[in-house]
Amino acid sequence: MTTFNLNADQQDCLQEIINVAMGQASDQLARYLDTFVYLKVPSIEQVNAQSLSNSLSQDQQSIAVVSQGFFGYEGIRGEALLVYQPQDSDRLADLLGYEPGELSVEEQIIDLSSILTTTFLNVFASQIDNQMSYSAPRLLSAGVSSVSEHLQQLSFNWDMALKVKISYQVTDYSFNCDMILLIPESAITNIKTVIDRILDEY
Amino acid sequence: MSSSVLICDDSNLARKQVLRSLPEQWAVKVQTASNGLEALEILRSQTIDVLFLDLTMPMLDGVGVLQGLKDENIDCSVFVISADIQPEMQSKVLDLGAKAFLRKPIQVDVLTNNLQQHGFI
Repeated sequence: MTTFNLNADQQDCLQEIINVAMGQASDQLARYLDTFVYLKVPSIEQVNAQSLSNSLSQDQQSIAVVSQGFFGYEGIRGEALLVYQPQDSDRLADLLGYEPGELSVEEQIIDLSSILTTTFLNVFASQIDNQMSYSAPRLLSAGVSSVSEHLQQLSFNWDMALKVKISYQVTDYSFNCDMILLIPESAITNIKTVIDRILDEY
Repeated sequence: MSSSVLICDDSNLARKQVLRSLPEQWAVKVQTASNGLEALEILRSQTIDVLFLDLTMPMLDGVGVLQGLKDENIDCSVFVISADIQPEMQSKVLDLGAKAFLRKPIQVDVLTNNLQQHGFI
C-alpha cells in the first residue's frame, strides 16, 4: 500500500519534502552532539491505528516515547512521537556528553526529542507554506500500556499515521529512533492538496 | 556549443526542480540519473561538463560518485545539491573536488550565481 494512497508523483514529492526536513534535523543533531551524523534515505510508511498499537505492544521491553503536539494553519495538526529502544536511550547520556547528575536521562531524552521534532516539522511546514506551534514535549512513562492510553486520549481522531524511520549513524555509536507523526484525516487531505500544488509548479 | 549537463538525484521532483532552475540563457543538453551508479555509467561513456549531484541516494551515494570521478580521473565540474547540510559534509565534498555545495531545495538565484562564479554563464 502506498502512503496515504498517494500516487507515485505525490509519494516522490512527500519523500523529497521529508528528505529536506530530515537533513536539517540531522544538522541540528550533529551540532548538538558536536559530531558527524551519517544519513540514510529515510523510509516512510503509512500505519493505521490498530497496527501501530500492535507494533508498540509487540515490544514487551520498556521503550521510551516522547510525545509532542503540533498545530499549523488550515487544520494541519497532529502528534509527533519519538520512540527509542532501550539500547538507544541508554546510549543517550554517552552521546550527549552530559556530566553525571547534570541532567536526568529523562530530561536528556526530552531535550533531544524536542530538537528533532521541532526542527523537522519547522522545515516540513515551511515547504508546504505553513507554520507550526508546539505543545510541551512529554516523556510517557516506560511501558506499553501508558503509551496506548496516551494515544487514546489525544484530542483528535486519527485513522492513519505517517511513520518516518530515522536512522542516525553517529561515528562512534549506532543510534536509532523512530519518528511517528499521527495526523488526522482532514490534515492529510490538506497536505495532499499542497503536494498537488507543488507538483503543478513543475 | 551547448554544455552537456547531468542531473543525478533519486527524487523525480528534485531533478525537475534543478531542471527548472537552470538559467534560460545557458544552452544545455540535459540528461538525468536516479542514483550514483547510473551517473557513473554515463560519466564514463560520455563527456559531461556539469554534474548536479545529490548526496543521500540508494545504490551509490554522492560521495561515492565524487570518489569514483577522482579515482578514474574523470574531468567534470560538480555542483552538489543536497539536504545533508552538515558543515563536515560540505567540506568533505569540496575536498573531493566539488565546485560548490548548494542546499536543498535549490533556489534559482543561488544556482545562477554559482554558475556565473565558475564561468558557465
